[in-house]
Amino acid sequence: MLDKIMKSKLFGWVDERTGAEAIIKSQLTEYEVPKNLNYMWNFGSLALLVLVLQILTGIFLAMYYKPSAALTMGGYTVAFDSVERIMRDVNFGWLIRYMHAVGASAFFVVVYMHIGRGLYYGSYKGPRELLWIIGVVILLIMQGAAFFGYLLPWGQMSFWGATVITNLFGALPVIGGFLQEVLRGGFAVGDPTLNRFFSLHYLFPLLLVAIVGGHVHALHVVHSNNPTGLDVHEGKSTIPFHPYYTIKDAFGVGVFLTFYCYVVFFNPQMGGYFIEVDNYVPANNLQTPPHIAPVWYLTPWYTILRSFESKLLGVVAMGASLAILFVLPFLDRSKVRSARYRPVYRQMVYLFFVTVIILGYCGHSAPTPTLKLVGQITTAYYFAFFLLLPFVHKFEKTKPLPEEI
Amino acid sequence: MKLKQLLTVACLSLAVAFPMAAQASGGGVALKHAEVDVTSQEQIRRGLTVFVDVCMGCHSAKYVTYKGLIDYPEIGLSREAVDELRGDSPLTSGMITDLSPEDAAVSYGKVPPDLSLIVNARRGGADYIYSLLTGFESDPAGEVPDGNYNEYFPGHRIAMPDPLGWLDHDEADTAELEAQANDVSAFLTFIGDPHQNERHAIGKYVMIFLILLTIVLYLLKKEVWKDVKH
Repeated sequence: MLDKIMKSKLFGWVDERTGAEAIIKSQLTEYEVPKNLNYMWNFGSLALLVLVLQILTGIFLAMYYKPSAALTMGGYTVAFDSVERIMRDVNFGWLIRYMHAVGASAFFVVVYMHIGRGLYYGSYKGPRELLWIIGVVILLIMQGAAFFGYLLPWGQMSFWGATVITNLFGALPVIGGFLQEVLRGGFAVGDPTLNRFFSLHYLFPLLLVAIVGGHVHALHVVHSNNPTGLDVHEGKSTIPFHPYYTIKDAFGVGVFLTFYCYVVFFNPQMGGYFIEVDNYVPANNLQTPPHIAPVWYLTPWYTILRSFESKLLGVVAMGASLAILFVLPFLDRSKVRSARYRPVYRQMVYLFFVTVIILGYCGHSAPTPTLKLVGQITTAYYFAFFLLLPFVHKFEKTKPLPEEI
Repeated sequence: MKLKQLLTVACLSLAVAFPMAAQASGGGVALKHAEVDVTSQEQIRRGLTVFVDVCMGCHSAKYVTYKGLIDYPEIGLSREAVDELRGDSPLTSGMITDLSPEDAAVSYGKVPPDLSLIVNARRGGADYIYSLLTGFESDPAGEVPDGNYNEYFPGHRIAMPDPLGWLDHDEADTAELEAQANDVSAFLTFIGDPHQNERHAIGKYVMIFLILLTIVLYLLKKEVWKDVKH
């Protein structure tokens, strides 16, 4: 079909003025991809899909949403009322809003799988260091966008979550107080906070689009890694992206949408994991909820924060746990990429995945002494994983690599 | 394949974590089970009656308009019936109690919460509401006055005084009171998300379509890939 379109007169006219044919060839029909990618390589295109879904649903939500903390009857606010108006009175508003709320969690599910795949198969290693670093920037902006977005319904968890997180910045020496006030637009989370968070929540996804463009461009320069981690040369080990991977990605999209729509239509709150129970209670600055926890995708980092007695230390550790991702490509010195051929690294990376899940569980639960200890041990391993990497290659006996993929 | 091990580990961890989290958040006494059918117009209408006669003495449901009582097919009251309910309130007004927040604060020590979203806003949802309404007891320790002790309320001391008259009710009335508690739980579950039945109905077709689409895409993928040797 693409061939037919490209031979048409209209396409010829466009091509003369844009060079579209060369772009399509170099990026799709003649863009070489290793033929042995498994289904873990589907999550990149899924992340792109969810980003588009989030932006589209978000644009429509913004047509009805009102970012104002002005009080209305019954302790509610204009913002909370406008969300309920979307849920009840706007035609198919419930669908758009649940798609957006579930989409936030779905975005993190696919992106965490995408990152996990990169870790396991060594996709961060040369020549893909910059590709990985751009990816970490995307992760940080995503977390920011999600955090800003969660304030908008102005429920109890919105309000107290924002209070706790903006408080963290206050712990930094010298600039802390200033930073906290700038973030909040005042001395406490209030109407100005809501307005600036709404503005930033609209800005960040646009930044994401630009940086995702950079991520894809960087990928197309260095090309995809593959499960063996071997450098793949053009010829019999590669196939063109289109039609092979377009159809494989399309199948992945089908599977993803099936799960996503199941949650949207039948279980949008996901038992309080995707939309927290307390967020159906309007924000009340005089009443702290018994247990404040961020949404699941931020809980691993929340546990790292809570694992330290000193607030400053906790904040620094949480920052470091994200910042260390930037230097990962330079910490790992092994010449072999894929964990398939690295027995020690493979155990380490499995343990790392389990660790992050446990960290997430600890951060979601009400704190107990046992969970705190578990959190501290897993926090220690989180950092140990990265700090051991420069030394692993010295004693790790890697398995022989195959000649061809 | 190694990823299978990974996925197994992840799934097992989640399977362990989810019920534990649910337990941790429930806290205290196990809730009674509410018999709620949000597709049943009869039950929702009966619940509406309980809501108007009992709950609305103090509570509002500001997101539920009188017009909604006509428009939602799950309630579908006639214009005349709604006119009788609303009195002087406009058709587009929410269901607002006559008790002013100031008077409520004087009488009960706090302002009763709006009930539009109460089922979504409480852990346990409808089960919690049902348990609460049928959970008024005399305080075993004798500290909390009768009518303010509820074993399902966090801290057990509740400002809401036994709305259905559960405490010391006649044995013969048990079934009737339980039915009222169930019905009003059904009504509150419905108004918490009034498009839920529509959502489920559309969702079925969406799932059928997507499963078929996915099968077609899988076959297409197999067809396109049949020449690629692994």
